[in-house]
Amino acid sequence: MNKLPLLFLGVFITFASSWLGLVAYPYLTLGNMQPLPDEDTGGYFPPSQSGLAVAGQRVYAANGCVYCHSQQVRLAPLSTDIAKGLGPRQTVARDYLRAQPVFLGTMRTGPDLTNIGARQPDQNWHHKHLYEPQTVTDWSIMPSFRYLYKMQKIQGQPSADAIQGLAGPHAPAPGFEVVPSDDAKALVAYLISLKRNYPLPESPEPPAN
Amino acid sequence: MNPQSLISSFHPANNPDTLASHERAEIDASTRFPVLLFFASAIFWLLIGSLLGLISAWKMTHPGLFDQMAWLTFGRLRPAHLNTVIYGWASAAGIGVGVWLMARLCRVPLLHSKLLISAAIFWNLGVLVGVMGILAGDSRSIEWLEFPGYATPILFIAYAFIGIWAIIMFRFRRPGHVYVSQWYLFAAFLWFPWLYATANILLVWQPIQGSAQGAVNWWFAHNVLGLWFTPIGLASAYYMIPKVIGRPIHSYYLSILGFWSLALFYSWNGMHHLIGGPFPAWMVSASVVASIMMFIPVVTVAINHHMTMRGHFGALKWSPTLRFTVFGAMTYTVVSLQGSSMAIPSLNTLTHFTDYTIGHAHLGLYGFFSMMMFGAMYYIVPRLTGWEWPSANAIRWHFWLVAVGILLMVVSLSIGGILQGLAQFDPQVSFRSSLDYATPFRWIRGLSGFLLLGGHVVFAALFTLMLLKVGRQKEGPALFAAPVKPEAAPL
Amino acid sequence: MIAGYLLLIGGLIFLSGSALAAFYWAVKDGQLENLPEASLVIFDDDEPVGTATDRFPSSQ
Repeated sequence: MNKLPLLFLGVFITFASSWLGLVAYPYLTLGNMQPLPDEDTGGYFPPSQSGLAVAGQRVYAANGCVYCHSQQVRLAPLSTDIAKGLGPRQTVARDYLRAQPVFLGTMRTGPDLTNIGARQPDQNWHHKHLYEPQTVTDWSIMPSFRYLYKMQKIQGQPSADAIQGLAGPHAPAPGFEVVPSDDAKALVAYLISLKRNYPLPESPEPPAN
Repeated sequence: MNPQSLISSFHPANNPDTLASHERAEIDASTRFPVLLFFASAIFWLLIGSLLGLISAWKMTHPGLFDQMAWLTFGRLRPAHLNTVIYGWASAAGIGVGVWLMARLCRVPLLHSKLLISAAIFWNLGVLVGVMGILAGDSRSIEWLEFPGYATPILFIAYAFIGIWAIIMFRFRRPGHVYVSQWYLFAAFLWFPWLYATANILLVWQPIQGSAQGAVNWWFAHNVLGLWFTPIGLASAYYMIPKVIGRPIHSYYLSILGFWSLALFYSWNGMHHLIGGPFPAWMVSASVVASIMMFIPVVTVAINHHMTMRGHFGALKWSPTLRFTVFGAMTYTVVSLQGSSMAIPSLNTLTHFTDYTIGHAHLGLYGFFSMMMFGAMYYIVPRLTGWEWPSANAIRWHFWLVAVGILLMVVSLSIGGILQGLAQFDPQVSFRSSLDYATPFRWIRGLSGFLLLGGHVVFAALFTLMLLKVGRQKEGPALFAAPVKPEAAPL
Repeated sequence: MIAGYLLLIGGLIFLSGSALAAFYWAVKDGQLENLPEASLVIFDDDEPVGTATDRFPSSQ
């Protein structure tokens, strides 16, 4: 086998290449990416998150939201994400800089959440939805997260945190109210922070067709 | 052995590769405790994992099921199922089968069984702590790596012990030909601890920033399939098929080619899980190319197994091992070609984010790997306990329950998934429609889960009876007697 | 950060190096010569080519 040295070189290069490509390269480039400064506001793209939203990421991870919900907007023609209103532009690496971990997701049992904060900016809507999803969307198969909430007797005045407009079988009886736990508040803060509609030069908005 | 004869003893021609039957029995006996320990652990986790999967499946069509408690929410139950079946069942079964095969192929009795027993204990501990951690709310939510950071080092110690053991066994094996199954096993046992450690360091213990996580995540998950499970499954097939029918592999050259091409191309596949995602286009394209290149190792394996079996398919009637193994081997071809096709961007448009992917995952890990493990266990356990399986009918029940179960699951999820994908792609169609299309097929999937769980209960019962040596009184298993021409048996 | 580099470069050397070394050894040791003979190693005198070694347990 005279071609042995050449063969070894081929083997080495093939192996090394997968490592370099899929592990080293992402680590060195994507992993070192920085947010872009926003001249108008003095902030950054992606914008920094409130402490509560950062805590909300942990609640999102702990309860496995990623197994039904993705967070990525893909480009046409291979997808119709933008035409379906999931976001104004494709999401790129910089959009996930502050995510820990990155919830790209691989299933859309439920809708994509990349821009859920833009579609549903109201806190109360999110609490209602998490408490009893079927009262907000009757065909939903999302499970109830009412274990993140507390049913309590109204002491004098209703609490400022109490969820408004609950209807369904788990709605509070008269004299009772449902208030979110700290985890629920953090989760909703995180969900409302999900808005990847700020401009990024590497991902221009495609022209409307 | 003096140095002179040691060196010359390395030449294949100078050493008889064959074993006398008492030597083989001695080798089998030396593996008894560690292998049975891994098998018992694996079957225990199989039952738990099947139950977790069954409940998760029914939660998708009945969201109100067990929704009162945090630790039973779908988002925790589903990763608990995934990790239980991957690390608790599949990996433990693979190690048990791999250890037995290594001892047989090294042609020496098992060395350092304490290392393996320690590994088994750490293993079970790691899986237990990990699964409890997920249910308690400490899941990392990184697919295939959900175990919290306090569980993974325990598993890593177990993997490291096994890797070390494999090196020792190989070093002190009887010199001579290294059979293809050994190549596969050695690769799997050596690479997996390193894969596991790297992924955990970069994603769990010292997480890297941003979407780089996605790339490393799927580099890991896909390599677990191709560099851990696939080699163990193929190692088993390459031994069991020729051994059961008494005929050598059709083309040994093809098997070597298959091994090396798998090793070279597989590690680039990972990014095909993230087509369209926030990554440089070349990374995703390279994965698509690698996924197509997989045709080479997959087709070589398919040709090899088919040509070896040709003219002997009647053997499926009288050999439980062959039945499960050939089912697994055929599925390997189908699921690999399916996987390659799913990487093609235009097809990926329809399957990404849908139940189709779930069907594919189960076809691979269950239809290929688990069936392969069942086949191997049916061959190995009698040789360790010195007793025959107590009931041929029960074995048939096991086979048909799980074969029908997995086919039903995969077909229903595939059809449902495509319909889901078509709806998701059409801008005129609401999201609700994608759900409505999938629902009836999720019902069928849920029913298939009962069949699978039933098959596993039968298998667990059979295994327990073997351990207790219950059954017809015989001098010993018919398998150890003089070779008999097998008579026709009912299907 | 340094740990990351060490891990990456070290891992790179380990994966490709081990495969390379293994292949090199295989060629040197004569593992890739006489492949048909290699396919026969799993058979023994009492479990030779042509003999089946598995069957359903017989029902009485």
